[in-house]
Amino acid sequence: MSAIQSAFPGSVLESRVESDRRLWITVDPKKLVEITQFLRDKKDFDHYSGAAGVDRINDNLFEVVEILTSHGAHQVVVLMKVKIPRDKPSVRSLTGLYWNANWYEREIWEMYGINFEGHPELYPLLLPDELVGYWPWRKDFKGYPDTTTGERAIEQVGPDGYTEFKIMPHPELIKAGVVPERPKYPTFREREEAEIKSDSEMIMHMGPQHAIVPGPFLLDLLIEGERVKKAFLDVGYIHKGIEKIMENRTYLQGLVYTDRMCYLASITNNEAYCGAVEKLLGITPPERAQYIRVILAELSRIQSHLLGTGEFLTLLGAATYSPFQYMIIDREDIVYLMESVTGARITHTFVRFGGVRNDLPDGFADKARPILKRMRERTEEYMDLLHSDPIYTRRMRGIGVLSPGDARRLGVSGPPLRASDTPYDMRREDPILVYPDLDFKVVTRKAGDAEARVEVRLEEILESIHIIEQCLDQIPEGPIQEKLPKKIKPEPGEAYYRVEDPRGEMGFYVVSDGSEKPYRVKVRGPVYAYMQALPPLLEGAYVADVVAIAGSMDACTSEVDR
Amino acid sequence: MVLKSLKYTLKTALTTTEVTRLYPEVMMELPANERGIHELDATTCIGCGSCARICPNSCIEMVPYRYGNPLKNRKMQFPQIDYGRCTFCGLCVDECPVSCLKMGKTTEIAGWDRKDIVYGPDRIAVKKFSEKEVAELEAEAKRQAEEKKKAAAAAAKEKAAKAKGKENKAKAKLGEGGEA
Repeated sequence: MSAIQSAFPGSVLESRVESDRRLWITVDPKKLVEITQFLRDKKDFDHYSGAAGVDRINDNLFEVVEILTSHGAHQVVVLMKVKIPRDKPSVRSLTGLYWNANWYEREIWEMYGINFEGHPELYPLLLPDELVGYWPWRKDFKGYPDTTTGERAIEQVGPDGYTEFKIMPHPELIKAGVVPERPKYPTFREREEAEIKSDSEMIMHMGPQHAIVPGPFLLDLLIEGERVKKAFLDVGYIHKGIEKIMENRTYLQGLVYTDRMCYLASITNNEAYCGAVEKLLGITPPERAQYIRVILAELSRIQSHLLGTGEFLTLLGAATYSPFQYMIIDREDIVYLMESVTGARITHTFVRFGGVRNDLPDGFADKARPILKRMRERTEEYMDLLHSDPIYTRRMRGIGVLSPGDARRLGVSGPPLRASDTPYDMRREDPILVYPDLDFKVVTRKAGDAEARVEVRLEEILESIHIIEQCLDQIPEGPIQEKLPKKIKPEPGEAYYRVEDPRGEMGFYVVSDGSEKPYRVKVRGPVYAYMQALPPLLEGAYVADVVAIAGSMDACTSEVDR
Repeated sequence: MVLKSLKYTLKTALTTTEVTRLYPEVMMELPANERGIHELDATTCIGCGSCARICPNSCIEMVPYRYGNPLKNRKMQFPQIDYGRCTFCGLCVDECPVSCLKMGKTTEIAGWDRKDIVYGPDRIAVKKFSEKEVAELEAEAKRQAEEKKKAAAAAAKEKAAKAKGKENKAKAKLGEGGEA
């Protein structure tokens, strides 16, 4: 902190050291890029974790919060804030410093209308083209189009006889000048076609429904012969606006929506959201509740890795020993264990502010130990099987290699990053709950290819089993819920809390204005970063390997679109 | 390689206990705190509506229902749940101040019509009063209400009397003042 102040006198407007791992600073918008460059080069902040926009309508300001962390050099998270006037919002882009700032800034632009100077491709990412220009996440957005008229869709019969339904703004509104002018940019299709340079190249569509993940997203490949020259991604097919919905729900009701972002990681999503709100409220859960949370989070990691790996192997054509069926059988045991605690199979809504919903049922440890023991044997079997399968090895080894430097530059986290020889795990980097008391190792691989990513996942299952067994031995008796006020109304403030999702770094940035509802919730998901890293990863690969590369990232589109 | 996979296949086939279940005949054994269809104890529900307020999808509506306790639930309003919207999050159960709403082990809610899966209090109530008991309780409630009315009337009378007394006194004082 003092280093920044001495290096840039007068440009740090405000600062707050929350703990030894969180630093909040407000900087001068003119000096943003210089300060970020200083942090990146001199202070090892080499991981751009995300950015969030906040609409402070009462102060007539927009805030952009940049979240910077480091890959293992230190554990400090800097949340750097820039305040800009609301009438002409414009910030300098950080894409020149961090490659992965691209999507985060695009999202802020399409949602808030904050211009990023020097951004190479300021096109909408999640929104449909009709909505661009309305800036839907501003606080004064009234809905689109005018829902009071009831004329939502207009029927248009084209010259070829097809009927299209278009949602047009009301003509009176256009006349009144309320409808904003749409910013001009080339459409997704035009951008793609501009890249075709010769007759030997063509565009192949994969998706929106496709073989890589169950969720819809469009992956267009510009191919020449068998090689991918460039890949284009279009996401936003299932954009639900969960962040905006949560602004209109109370803190407790918002918890239900965190489950639905990704059903394989619902416990960790709950945990991240509750952790952020607990920070705002200034409470810590009792020790028994912390242990229960860790047990559930690790069980959730096991079942997520099992389903992700099994599904991916089936898509790869590994039908000879049907790993999907095997893994589903094993996953059933784990899901049943979780169900006996939470009462639901996938959408748990289990973690509460300052505790958990239920205590562990009687005899949980006795029931869990044999299941975990069997799970360990089975995982070792899978590793043995996959290792000795020549077809699998040829399809996976050396495919989609992500070098450690590239992995850090592209901003991926979780198993793909650890498979690229970077021991970056939130359980170590930003320890929460009782993780500091537990013994576990961060699984890494040197190769960085698709095989290494699957191996890291399978070995993480073993580590999770080890963690749960320790928890079952150490768990103390005691209360499971901290006393809470009847109405949850945190003091005005903001908090950032991150956990290790099954897929990587999951962070929640929650802003409170002192009312019953959160002022702003920003989700920094791990899969968003994977998806962004896909096009450079696919460049130069064979078409046949696309599924192997993209599938080994274990993506979940629902969380990207939120 | 093939032999190895076969070995594991055989091992799985011979050791795994249960893979498929004959579904409608053999049901899955559900844990004690399963979050299935709600169970309402109509005898204790006070009709406060906190379940309807906390519901994130507003699928709970308070509707009139006869077989409850009129002593505790004056307006006889009980929750009706639209399972077309319910997400089984369980917030309503946590919020209930008298713990009369619980979630049971039944999970099958299929119906022919959208109206079929809107469960009124009569379908989710597991405990309710009989017609006779309700009549008795209603009589009791009436009696209590009347008593209260009487008490209120008496109180009002007293108050009025007091106020009159005060007025009189004030008048008297005024009168005194005037005389003086």
